[in-house]
Amino acid sequence: MRRKVWLIGAIALLGCGSDGARAGGGTDGPFMTGPSGETDSGDSDDDDATGDDDDDDSGDPSQPYEPGQQVLPRLTQRQYRNSVTDLLGAPLPEVELEPDTNPYLFESIGATSTSLSELGTQQYEEAAETLTQAVWADSARRDALIGCAPAAADDACAQEFLARFGRRAFRRPLSAAEVARWSEVSATVADGDPYQGLRYATAGMLQSPYFLYRVELGEEDPDDPARLRYTDYELASRLSFLLWDSIPDEELLAAADDGALLDPDGLEQQARRMMADARTRLSVASFFAQYFDLRRLDGVSRDPGLYPDFTSSMADSMRTEVELLVEDLVYRQDSDIRRLFSTRKTFVNTELAELYGIEPPPGASEISFAPVDLPEDGPRAGMLTLGAFLAMNAHETETSPTLRGKYLRERVLCMEVPAPPDDADTNVPDPAEGGTLRERLEQHRVDPACASCHAFVDPPGFLFENFDSAGAYRTTDNGFPVDASGELDGVPLADARELADVLADNPFVGPCVVKQLFRHTNGRLESGGEEPALEDLAARFEQRGHRFSELLVELVRHESFRYVTQQTEEGE
Amino acid sequence: MKPRKFLSRRTMLKGALGGGVVSLALPPLEAMMGSNGALADGTTEGPIFGVFFWANGTPWHGGHGGVQGGQGSQGDVWTPAEVGPGYTPSSLLQPIAAHQPSIATGLTPHTEVPAAPPGQSDGHMRGFMVALTGDRIRPEGFDHPSHTLTALRPSIDQVVAKHPEFYGKSPAPYRSLVLGVSEARFHDYGHWNAISYNGPDSLNLPVSSPGQLWNLLFDIPDDFEALERRANVLDAVLEDANDLRAKLGPRDQARLDDHLDHISEVQRRLELSGVTCEPGAQPAEPTDLMEKTQVMSELLAMALGCGITRAFSFMLTSPATTHIFSNLGVPDGMHKTCHDGYWQRVNDITRYQMECFGAFMDRLEAVADPAGVTLMDRAAILGTSEYGEGWQHSVAEMPVVIAGGACGNLNRGVHVREPGGNYSMAHVTVLRALGINTPSFGWNGGETSDALSGILV
Repeated sequence: MRRKVWLIGAIALLGCGSDGARAGGGTDGPFMTGPSGETDSGDSDDDDATGDDDDDDSGDPSQPYEPGQQVLPRLTQRQYRNSVTDLLGAPLPEVELEPDTNPYLFESIGATSTSLSELGTQQYEEAAETLTQAVWADSARRDALIGCAPAAADDACAQEFLARFGRRAFRRPLSAAEVARWSEVSATVADGDPYQGLRYATAGMLQSPYFLYRVELGEEDPDDPARLRYTDYELASRLSFLLWDSIPDEELLAAADDGALLDPDGLEQQARRMMADARTRLSVASFFAQYFDLRRLDGVSRDPGLYPDFTSSMADSMRTEVELLVEDLVYRQDSDIRRLFSTRKTFVNTELAELYGIEPPPGASEISFAPVDLPEDGPRAGMLTLGAFLAMNAHETETSPTLRGKYLRERVLCMEVPAPPDDADTNVPDPAEGGTLRERLEQHRVDPACASCHAFVDPPGFLFENFDSAGAYRTTDNGFPVDASGELDGVPLADARELADVLADNPFVGPCVVKQLFRHTNGRLESGGEEPALEDLAARFEQRGHRFSELLVELVRHESFRYVTQQTEEGE
Repeated sequence: MKPRKFLSRRTMLKGALGGGVVSLALPPLEAMMGSNGALADGTTEGPIFGVFFWANGTPWHGGHGGVQGGQGSQGDVWTPAEVGPGYTPSSLLQPIAAHQPSIATGLTPHTEVPAAPPGQSDGHMRGFMVALTGDRIRPEGFDHPSHTLTALRPSIDQVVAKHPEFYGKSPAPYRSLVLGVSEARFHDYGHWNAISYNGPDSLNLPVSSPGQLWNLLFDIPDDFEALERRANVLDAVLEDANDLRAKLGPRDQARLDDHLDHISEVQRRLELSGVTCEPGAQPAEPTDLMEKTQVMSELLAMALGCGITRAFSFMLTSPATTHIFSNLGVPDGMHKTCHDGYWQRVNDITRYQMECFGAFMDRLEAVADPAGVTLMDRAAILGTSEYGEGWQHSVAEMPVVIAGGACGNLNRGVHVREPGGNYSMAHVTVLRALGINTPSFGWNGGETSDALSGILV
């Protein structure tokens, strides 16, 4: 796959044409209020991304938009659990599943690239057994699921159930041969008990690759036989796994039955309906938790001798804080997403209030979090001054301007930080030699072999030096006064607080969110042919005031969500 | 404990019809067993193979090349002064000396390193892949900044477990067990918490909970008819998978093929009777690394003794581990401790990891068949790490321990020194010791047909 390397200090403009984007649109938060009325969709037929000619930084400017290749995502743990709950109803017993992998941050990318192991296959088998047994153990629940009383394991009632269950589990109607296959299974293992037969057949369908994988391969586009479009059922599945991390509901499948989803307006209508459902809140939270790599906090602890305030619950508190902030700002308020990096609002419990040196707000306790505005003249504003980022990107005993700068570059601005040279001396002088960590990292600046990359990550990373490895404010390091000045792409900054102001309208933040959402949605890195689509989406995102809900709608309407290319051996 | 075997009811049926004996050992295997291997009751259990992996190599010294200093280095405390049989164990080898391991020193990867994408020579990844697979990292998709990597081929535990000459026609219920102890990992990207691969992007994540392992091994329903029905259902699953396969592109066909193979293995296991050895009580879930090593080793030894498997990998700590050895007074994760140049701390940690290795082998030594043949007598255990040392990630002088008797095919207590020697000589040695015909091993410059001759009988 083609990768871009950003030049240090380069500020690229968003050179995306805006003529294709729709102006206006609802101003209500569609996350909360459901369909926001008619949007101006008169030009929806022209919505397709075509790239633009004044392409600036994305390589070959003449490269036309080309859909990405087919992938075969296996359900993530979250998707599997949600899907079986939607199929079988709650409550269900806990089952063990193979852990997701998250290359390039996203479980969805692991889901298209990592193969299932033998143990994972066995776990699916055992899970199907456990889940169906739990439902069948309660005859009322079983009967409600089956919906009729089978007299034989493959009679009309049985076949009707298998076809109905299969349609939801496989996210498409079953062929007659498939119904025959599963009713034969039912008959073979029924042993005179039709319910037993149906239980095993149900367990089998839950192990079918048509359930466990998202089979979204496209069909020939009647308007352009040279390319593939996703089928209406595949679009239903794509929409549903994006917004709910689960299978489509009946209404969405009915829309697919009617062919309504092949029209972007039909997709938008369903998307807005689904976004008003609380399941989208959880999926949005899951996306941001992956994007910001919050899972890494699980492994964060600090020596209680050195950091007595860093309790065993502190890392969890830090994680919860970011989750609440994302939920409030991105989902509930649906405000300009860049405010995540500049807002003084946050959510604290008592230990975080103590860490930040503020009075616990009303309602905050050891376990309850309450909203609070951080002091206007204080050192903190935005996610990059909160405990999660600061502690996650530090070592057990000292900070790491390099890790913090790297996170800023890679996660917030989507720039690529080159690897250290193979022969890099990574030894940092001992604190006993004196000086602050910043001073001890001087080698990064003076050694040309180090400087080429560290000049990219360290100067913004130094801006956080007022915060120690546990996230607490400090004015000294190793007994010496802290210098938290630095710079970002040629703009000198005094500290992290000034960085927050810069990030509030930094031109890289919006496109970075677009790129991460695109990767998460498609389960792969963008291909070179998709760069114009990313640029187009970024421009639309900007026009929509960087509101995440509007980005989701633009995304599902977009050509890049609806078309696909045949898979080849080599990938791109 | 009274070992009993998993028996396939289909095999039993066939055996009964043919009037033959059920557990037919392969002739070459029998010949290979030697005086040590034949069991008193006439059955042949065959050799055992396992990988024991620990993180971050050994403490650095001049032999690792480059500028080796840091704080308080006391030089090479790994390599014994003498070569040949009966060497005097070095300080770091003392914790495992009771098991008279053979060791090879001086070995290093011989694989070529492509220029692009950059970063492929990083010892963590290059040494990791060579030690486990004999090949380099897969260049396609490799991304050094995010540490995204995968293997090009199966790791040695899977090579053995799936080799027709290892199990012959009657594989154990589990061809292999993939186990781990520490759950700390350098990266959350999935590829840093496993050392066992089936192939590219096909990981076997370790089971690292004693309770989960116990369930896998012993919590098997005894309703054979129900198990048979579950196996039957999988026929239809396989039919669905074959339908789908025809519609997929080449890369996804390969992924689905992996899944199909696994379904067949699960189906085979469901068709085996559930009777195994008598399990002990459900184990505790200790957090202490040594205690957990002991619990996991004991369960593994039980599984090996009962014939539930004959191949395994045992990852004490994951590559580049961030495990904090606070029990040794080390405040930081091990990876950072290496990079910070704290030689003495790294030495303490490595010694502790060797103590865990010793405790692991103690458990295997403690299980013997009626003739007194222990699991260690039958085992070839490759003990290794991902590079020579963690300060500079040097892949010179990678640690290689070859322990156990492999049913009489391995010499014990031999030190072979091969400065600059090809790491894959260790692979050739253990594969041949297991009776697997191995003309050569290693790829992309790492090929060798040589075994470590002093170690292989």
